[in-house]
Parts: sequence; structure tokens; C-alpha cells
Amino acid sequence: MVGRRSLRELVPPYEILRNKRVSDNGFAVRLIDIHRFFQRGSERLDVLHGLTLEVPHGEFLALMGPSGSGKTTLLNLIAGLDKPSRGEVWVGSDRISDYTESKLTPWRTRNIGFIFQFYHLLPVLTAYENVELPLLLLSLSARERRERVSTALEIVGLSQRLHHRPGQMSGGEQQRVGIARAVVTDPKLIIADEPTGDLDSRSASEILDLMQELQKSLSKSIVMVTHDPRAARRADRMRFLDKGSLVDKPPDSFLLDSQEALA
Amino acid sequence: MKLLLLTVKNMRRNLIRSTLTALGTMVLVFVFTLIWSVLSFLDAVTAEKTENLKAIVSERWQIASQMPYAYAPTLAEGAARKPADVHPVDSMTWSFYGGTIDKEKRTRENTFFAFAMAPEKLATMMDDLELKSLPAKDAAEMRRVIDLMKQKRNGTIVGWEKLKQMHKRVGDRFTVNSFNYKDIDLELEVLGQFPDGRYNQTSVINCDYLNAALDAYPQSHNGKKHDLADKALNLVWLRVPDTEAFSRVQDQIMKSPLYTQPAVKCETAASGIASFLESYRDLIWMMRWLLAPAILLTLSLVIANAISISVRERRREFAVLRVLGFRPRHILVLVVGEAVALGGFAGLASAGGTYYVIDHVFGGFNFPIAFFGAFFIPAAAILWGLGAGVATALLGSVVPAWSASGIQVTEALSKVA
Repeated sequence: MVGRRSLRELVPPYEILRNKRVSDNGFAVRLIDIHRFFQRGSERLDVLHGLTLEVPHGEFLALMGPSGSGKTTLLNLIAGLDKPSRGEVWVGSDRISDYTESKLTPWRTRNIGFIFQFYHLLPVLTAYENVELPLLLLSLSARERRERVSTALEIVGLSQRLHHRPGQMSGGEQQRVGIARAVVTDPKLIIADEPTGDLDSRSASEILDLMQELQKSLSKSIVMVTHDPRAARRADRMRFLDKGSLVDKPPDSFLLDSQEALA
Repeated sequence: MKLLLLTVKNMRRNLIRSTLTALGTMVLVFVFTLIWSVLSFLDAVTAEKTENLKAIVSERWQIASQMPYAYAPTLAEGAARKPADVHPVDSMTWSFYGGTIDKEKRTRENTFFAFAMAPEKLATMMDDLELKSLPAKDAAEMRRVIDLMKQKRNGTIVGWEKLKQMHKRVGDRFTVNSFNYKDIDLELEVLGQFPDGRYNQTSVINCDYLNAALDAYPQSHNGKKHDLADKALNLVWLRVPDTEAFSRVQDQIMKSPLYTQPAVKCETAASGIASFLESYRDLIWMMRWLLAPAILLTLSLVIANAISISVRERRREFAVLRVLGFRPRHILVLVVGEAVALGGFAGLASAGGTYYVIDHVFGGFNFPIAFFGAFFIPAAAILWGLGAGVATALLGSVVPAWSASGIQVTEALSKVA
């Protein structure tokens, strides 16, 4: 990766983005008997039923499964974007399934970093300004913000492209800006929804390298949804979702899809 | 502050749409500014003052007013007869004289209309021409021309626009074949022009010159007086210090036995002008209550349309902002702020531009209503433009902004996953 320094070379200042808020229970995420259904008129659509999952601190977990298996719903629950119909969602020591929307919103800024498949950067803002965006919601001085943004962009190897807009960058570079935006608030947990889904294999590999470094050097816990078995293999652990339940082995339909993807 | 910056940057997102919306706003604010300038001027001239106010004396039962010139000396004194009676501070008589400078070819350009009045009163009784209120250079020029007009009774002072329209210059002479004073054709010499402003289309002649021509009329017409010889006084203006003095003067005039054939009435200038504007009542009402609101409503719809499209296009972006921790109120402020910044900027630019171009380049704009000549854009119009832009943007953006702030994050992002 051109221009990116190893995280180990960045001590300090990258320490400001290292997760120092590990809670006592040892888990970054705990889902207990989660049910999620949606009511569509008289019809009830069960998406998740009785799902239990534990993600230890500092783990990189890959969630896989065929389309419609409930992966995104699960991510939304962990991120506090949705609430379970039944069950408990714990992120660190926070039982967020009980939180109100007004409590969840600021909680998300501090505790969750998001990486999206299509980057979702604001096209009118520069790389620097995109990364700075979540920091505007925190009580930080301009100097603190500058320090954090510069460090985050240096970590992802884009310190030379601070003032470029998304339209002036490649897909891989945009995703790196997205990663810098995800870590800049020093969240406990990073949620990645198909982070390599829109990238060529070389850029995808670089992004996965970076995510592994974030996990190891900054002690971030990562939950990643992916269809790509090569991406999933970079994680510490893989779990499969099939029809709203976690299973140990990939379902047959998913294996067929994956073989086609790899072909 | 950073959010404000983001709001401004968002305007660059779709430059064509932002520019078109701004242009639409500017056109509508331009029309609104013109209309509101006319209305505010009419409001100002029909608003009753409490100090240093003017009164108009005119014929009581007839429009247009035609009084004998013999009324002028006593009316100028407010019909004061007893020592305790109140005298006006100043006065002025007006006779309306109109005609054509080319009787073979009567066109608008060749038409000449003038107030026949005492030249000295230009310096003390005419709104916006009082020498003390003019810039020093204009005041000195007006003083010179007034003094010249007192010496040359056939002199006339004409606004520069009217002069240009007639293809005349200062120093030119021309003969007016009168429409209203039949056979009283006056030969006039242009002595000067009014300062740039509301009198650009106005002309003034010396009343003594008109009266002398009326007096001389019988000599060339077998001793017969001119039809208008006893009807040459159209209006008398009186200046009084306050409303109490006005009431006294009004009472003196209305109860005076001197003014019976015809009877006269005395009213404040504001009330007199309001009576005169009565025939334009429907037009003014429509301008105020239909046209101006329709413009503002259209403006709101233009902005609402642009903002709605923008919000629809940016649903995922707002969802991402919500994921990052932005609250609904932040999104609301972002969307409304963008509309308000655009509307405010366009309104300010349009009204400011209108003020500069109309007042300083074109010297007012013509709107043929009553006896008013050119209308001007008041400096306050710049604030109206800003206000109209901001208010309509606010109105137009509230609904789309509300919808953006209530966006369902999972729904907006589900199409992506």
C-alpha cells in the first residue's frame, strides 16, 4: 500500500485511537436469544429467531450467509440501528436493546465505527472533512480534532490526499477514507458491511490487510458481513447465518453462490 | 460553525440545480421588489403625519378640481381673518398645463405636461426638492435655475428623462400647443433640469407666465375671457406645523364665506392623495393581496421543489449521517439551512441589484398610477429581498427537511446491503 506507514511506526500518536475502554465482561458483543420479526399487514416475517452470539474483545468475526439470511438485520441490531423484537443486545457493558433512540444516537458516535460497502462519503467534502464529520458531534477542540483526523488518515495511508474529494479518489482510496472515518472516534467496535464488495481483488486485499492491522494494533473488535470467502478467511472466526439462525457450517445454497463468486 | 460550512458546501453539490433555483428566486424577488416599492411609496404618501404636514385645498365636489385663481392669496393664508387665526407656514399653488410640442404629430414623446407654480416654491414645498435636503451640488444648481426662472417667466425646468424623450436639451426653445388651455400656446425655454430622481419625468413652468397668457387672451378674442380663466387654480398646498394647526386651518377654510362658488375642501395631503388613489383601489388591492402573495407562494414552491428533489437524492447520505450520530434536528438544520442560505443569498443579490440598477442606472421605473412619475426602490428593499428569500425558503424547505430528518436508517440503507 503506497504511502501508508505500519501502525507500529506510528507510536505515538496512533495511541489516541487505540481502544482503551475494554469492559470487564470480556465480550465486545453479546446477543442473547435474539428474535426479530417484521409485521407486513397481517403477515409476520421472522428474520432472526432465537439467535445467540458472543464476540470476545479484539476478535475479528466474519458473518456469512446467503441473501435474505438476516445478516444485515443482525448488523443493524449490534450497531443500535434497530431493536430486537425479543432478546438482549450487549455491546461491551452497554445493554443497548433497552436504550431509547435519543440515547442510542450519541452512543453510536462514541462506540461504533461503520464501514459501508459503497463507502458513503459525502461528495462535497474532502477526505479530511469526511473523516472529521463524526468528531463534530463530540466535545473536542479544533486541535484535538485535527490531531485525530490526521492520525486516522495517516493510519490508512492517505496523509497526502487530505484535500481530495471522493470523486478524485479510487474506490480503494475512498474505502480507506471510510475506514479512517470509522476509527476516528476511537470506537470499541467496528461494523463492516461488505467492505470489499465494491472493490477489485487487489484493493480488497489491501483493505482487509488494513482491517487486520486495526484489529491487532488498535485492539478493535470487528464484525464483518461478507459474501466473499477470501475476505472471511482473513477473520479470526467465521459464523454462518441461514434463515435467521446461526449455523456452524455454510448452507448448501451459500456454497453454490460462493463457488460462482470465486469462479 | 462546521455544520454551517457543510450547508454552504451542499449548495455546490448540484451547481446547475442550485443556480437555477437561485435564478428563479432572483426573478421573483425582482418582481416582488418592484411591486412592494410601489406599494410602500403609496403607503408612505397616504400615511398621516403628525408634524410638519401638508394640506391640500381643492374643489369640493369635482375631480379634477378647478378653482378661480382669486382664491389663491387668501387660501395661502389659510383663510385667516382674525388675529387669533392660524396661518400656514408655507404654501404653493398648482395649475396643470398640458399640450404637445408637435401638433401635427401627437405622440407620447411629444406630449408635455407641467405644473404651473411659483418658482421659489420649488425650493421649499416640493417633496425631495427642498434645497436643504439636496446634496450641495444639486442644491446650488437648483438655486441657480430657480433664480433664472424668476427672471425668465417663459422658462421651464424639465426632468432629464422627459427632455431626452422630447429630444430637447437645456437652452432649447419649443412651443406647446395646449390640450386643456385651448389657444393658450406657450413658448417655453428649457432653463435647467431636476436632480436625478423622482422628477425625471416632471416639468414645471412659471404660473405667472400662464396667468399672463390667460389675462392677455381677451385682447385677441374680442374681449372674451378664456373658458378656464376662472378655473385655473387646480390645487393649493399648505404646510402646517402639526395636526392641531391643520385642524384649525381646515376649520378656517371650510367655514370661510369666501369659497362658495365653487366650494372647497381642505384635507391632509395623505388623505387627499388617498382620495385621488381611490380610483386605483382595485388595482392596488390586487397588487398587495393577490400578486405579491402569489409571487411569494410561487417562490416557496420553486424552493420546495428543488429541496424535495435534493432530499430524495440524498436519502442514503442522511441515513449515513444518522448512523454516524447526527440527530434528526441536525439533519433538519442542514436541509433548512441549505435552502435558507440559497434563498437568502439570491434574495439579497436580487434586491440589491434591483436597487442599484433601478435607482442608479435607470433613475427609477415608470409605473403609470395617479400623478406619480418614476418610482424608486428604497434602500430598505435590500432587506425585503433578504427577508423574502429567507422566509420563502424556510416555508418551502420545512416539509422536505422534516421528511429528511425522520428518515428510517435501516430502510434507507437496506437497498445497499
